[in-house]
Order: sequence, then structure tokens, then C-alpha cells
Amino acid sequence: MPEETHLESEVAGLIVETLNLDIDPSEIDPQAPLFREGLGLDSIDALELALALSQRYGFKLRADDPNNTRIFSSLRALSEYVRAQRVK
Amino acid sequence: MSELTLLTGFEAGSTIAWRDGRPIECRQFLADAAQLAMSLPQRAHVFNLCRDRYCFLVAFVAALLRRQVTLLPPSEAPGMLLDIRKQYGDAYCLTDQPDCAADLPVHRYPAQSAVVTADQSVPSFPREQVAAVVFTSGSTGEPKADVKTWGALLAESAMAMKRFWSDRPRPAGVVGTVPSQHMYGLATTVLLPLQAGFGLHSARPLFPEDLRVALEQVPAPRVLVTTPLHIRACVVAQTVLPDLQFILSATAPLSPALARQAEDMYSTEVLEIYGCTEAGSIATRRTVEGNVWRTYDDMRLYQHDEQYFVEGPSVEQPVALNDVIQLRSPHEFSLYGRFADLINVAGKRTSLGNLNHKLNQIDGVVDGTFFMPDEAPGTVSRLIAFVVAPGLSQQAVLQALRQQIDPVFLPRPLYIVEALPRTESGKLPRGSLAALAARLANKRKRKKSA
Repeated sequence: MPEETHLESEVAGLIVETLNLDIDPSEIDPQAPLFREGLGLDSIDALELALALSQRYGFKLRADDPNNTRIFSSLRALSEYVRAQRVK
Repeated sequence: MSELTLLTGFEAGSTIAWRDGRPIECRQFLADAAQLAMSLPQRAHVFNLCRDRYCFLVAFVAALLRRQVTLLPPSEAPGMLLDIRKQYGDAYCLTDQPDCAADLPVHRYPAQSAVVTADQSVPSFPREQVAAVVFTSGSTGEPKADVKTWGALLAESAMAMKRFWSDRPRPAGVVGTVPSQHMYGLATTVLLPLQAGFGLHSARPLFPEDLRVALEQVPAPRVLVTTPLHIRACVVAQTVLPDLQFILSATAPLSPALARQAEDMYSTEVLEIYGCTEAGSIATRRTVEGNVWRTYDDMRLYQHDEQYFVEGPSVEQPVALNDVIQLRSPHEFSLYGRFADLINVAGKRTSLGNLNHKLNQIDGVVDGTFFMPDEAPGTVSRLIAFVVAPGLSQQAVLQALRQQIDPVFLPRPLYIVEALPRTESGKLPRGSLAALAARLANKRKRKKSA
């Protein structure tokens, strides 16, 4: 499995586990929005997810505007952000 | 008719807000509010949906200047806005966002700041002027309106000032993580600064790191107005924050253990506010000192039959409280949770009755109910829903719900079931629903590990 896809499924697993979602990680469309439409996540989820991501990958997430969650726009965008920022 | 001034303790050059890391002077704020007021359409009601706290403030004051009533919905869900508009037919949206989710007339917050002229006088408004209508989700599905006069809002600010700063120096500014549209956010992060003479940070930081950055842009002494969720996030992430005069928490019960951790980590006090949309802030406690709440000096609790009420200068009439309370005196009480029908997820409030009503309105839903599992301290429990809907998929029901209710109330998970465990009289005992939830969760786990 190429590194990119591997990280993507790892992040997908973290999302499902952290937020207790009723789906299989592989069912998350990498390009679909995570919030509102798509998985329908909200800012409480973003906060939970940020905590889990920072503990797993050792970076601090910033949003600037909680409603402008570009990093969370899709699984792919989030995984790319993780790849760029991770320190562990 | 007596009038009350908008600002106390500010001079023209005082900082009233920090935005994008820069201070905004009081005279600029007055010019911005006057300019926006002039551009507003001639209508009586306005939804203030501005997310930036400074924009919200300017829009709120502009509406006051034009004698327009600000409507504060519990969420921006399109169905919610349209429901409210049934009662306030001329209402338009004033927003700093590119668009408004509901199909309503929109007035955009101006991109340009106003030009400051020499004479920027501080307005005052009649005590009786209706400043805002704050909505909660009623039990029948119709939004319930609470009218706030300018006088009542300022009475609350005055009591809060006395409680928090009688023995402390006035802070320079406040950072808030709660929305301005929420009664707690409006009172503590918008009105209190105006009346107590300190500035507000325009951002609404979400992640601990955002919180740190915002707090560092505000000089000491500074106050953080937040919720148990954000406090927990900062403690878990071990975020280093600048010195805080105190942390204020509300919207959900804060566990003494978490409060203790936060006090130790940030060398500050963690104070909690008890209140509700109808009455605003009522009482405070320092969480680590135990379950004894002290009302603001002029607020008073009393019992009538089985129900507790609060009265005081910030409420027009006594307000019934939705909590299980033990009264020690008219000014001291202990709290033992909410009435069972009331749902509070991360500070957003609704009732099971309302959610069940919305669920059962969906085309194709034969029977359905929401269920709130017991909450572990410091975490957010999500609702679960059980739905009997032959022919409908889980996704279809969720999609329909999304149009009607705030995302924090969306069930997680939503189970499609063949029947609900109703008793002969049609009731749904909490124990049966808990057992059903446990059974379905187990089934799900087995499926996952298979």
C-alpha cells in the first residue's frame, strides 16, 4: 500500500474510533466533506478529533475560525495536513 | 423614560476589541456601529448571525440604534430560522459570512471600516427598549421566544460586575469560546465588556492552540469565558496559556476534578455560572469549593409547589427553573442535574419532546425516539435514536433530520429497528431503551470485529 493511502486509512480509522461513528473506516469517501454534508460532523467533533490527532501525531492543530475548518474539508485534506505537520 | 448608556468606563481611545491581532479603539467602534445602522434596511427584526464577535457587537448596536429587535436563534439550521420567521415575518439576516443557509433576505456586514469623525457620541437606550429575543427549542417543536429589554440585560451585567470584580482589578479583556448568539455568550463576552469597561477578542477559538494565540493577543489581566469541553481539551493537550485572572465556565456541569486540574495547571480560579436562557446568569460558584451556588446579590430563588423559581432585576417575571435543586436559603442552593426531558449537548439546549416531534414528522417514519445515554463527566454524550421506518435508509432519515435540528443533536448512532420496546400503555421506559442501546452497540462491535 503506498504511504499516502496508508496514512489516509490510518486517519480514517482514528476518525471512526474517536467519534464512535457507525461506519467502517473504508466507507469514508476521501474527497467528501467531513462536516455538515458528508459525515455531518460538527465543531465538538472537530475538537475531539484535534485532540486525538495531536496525541497521535504530535502537532498542534489551529483553525483560526472554527467554522472555517478547511483542514477538515475532506479525509484527503486532513491526511495531507497530517503528513505535512506530523512530528511523530 | 430613563435611558441607560451603551458604554461605561471607556474613553475615545480605549481598546474595545482585538481583531486580527490589532486593537480597535472605542471611537472606531462607535463609527462602525453608526455607519452600519444607517445602511440597514427599514425592518423591525434582524437575525444577527455574525460569527466574528466584533462584527456581532457592531451589528447588535446598529440594530439598537435603529430600534430593530435582534433575533438570536439557537442554531443556524435553515428550518429553525424559517420557523422563527413565521412569527417575525419581516426578519432579515445580518451576517459576516458569504451566505446564509436559509432562504431569507441577507444584509452583509460591510468589508470596510467606517471613517471616524470628530464627534462620536456614546448612545444610550431606553430601559424598556426590546434589545433582543433569544430563542430556545420549545417542547412542541415551535421555537420559544424570550424577550430581553435593554434594562434587563444591563441589570445582569451590573450584578456580574459586582460578583466578579468587587475584590479584583478590572481586566483588560476577555476571550470567549462560546457564540455571541447564546445567552451566556451574549451576557459575558459582549455586554459585560461594554458595561465593565474592558475589551473583547473578536475570535471564537476552538482548538487549544487557537485559544492560546487569542489570549496572548489580549493584555493581562485577562479572562477566559468557556465551557467544560474546551477546558478539558486544554488540560488534556497540556496547552500552555498566558496568565488568567480567572476562567469562567458554563453550559454544562463541570466536574470538580477537572476544575482542580485546570486551577493547578493555570494557577488561576475556575468559576462556574448557573443560568438559563430565560433568566440569564443566576448564580456562581468556584467549582473546587463544592456544590453550593451563590446567587447574584439581587437574584432570589423560591419554591412554589414542586417547582423552583428565580426572580430579580434581570427578569421581568419569575422564571421557573428546569433543574433539580435543593434550596439552602433564597441565595444559596445545590444543583442535582436537569429534569429528564431536557437535553443539553455542549451548551445547546432542546428537549426530548421537541426532537421526538421532529423525528416523527419525517415522511416514512412510523415510530421513533431519541435516547440520551448517561453522561460521563467532562465528555459529551451524544444522543442515540431508534427509528421504525420501513423502506427508509439510515442515511435518508439522518438527511431529513439535518434539515430540522442542530447538528449537535444528530443521533450517533441512529438505529433502524423493527419496533420500539413500548409498554402496553405505550410508554418507553428509560431502562428498556438503555438495554436496547447496549444490545445494538454490542451487535455493531461484533460485526466490526468479524
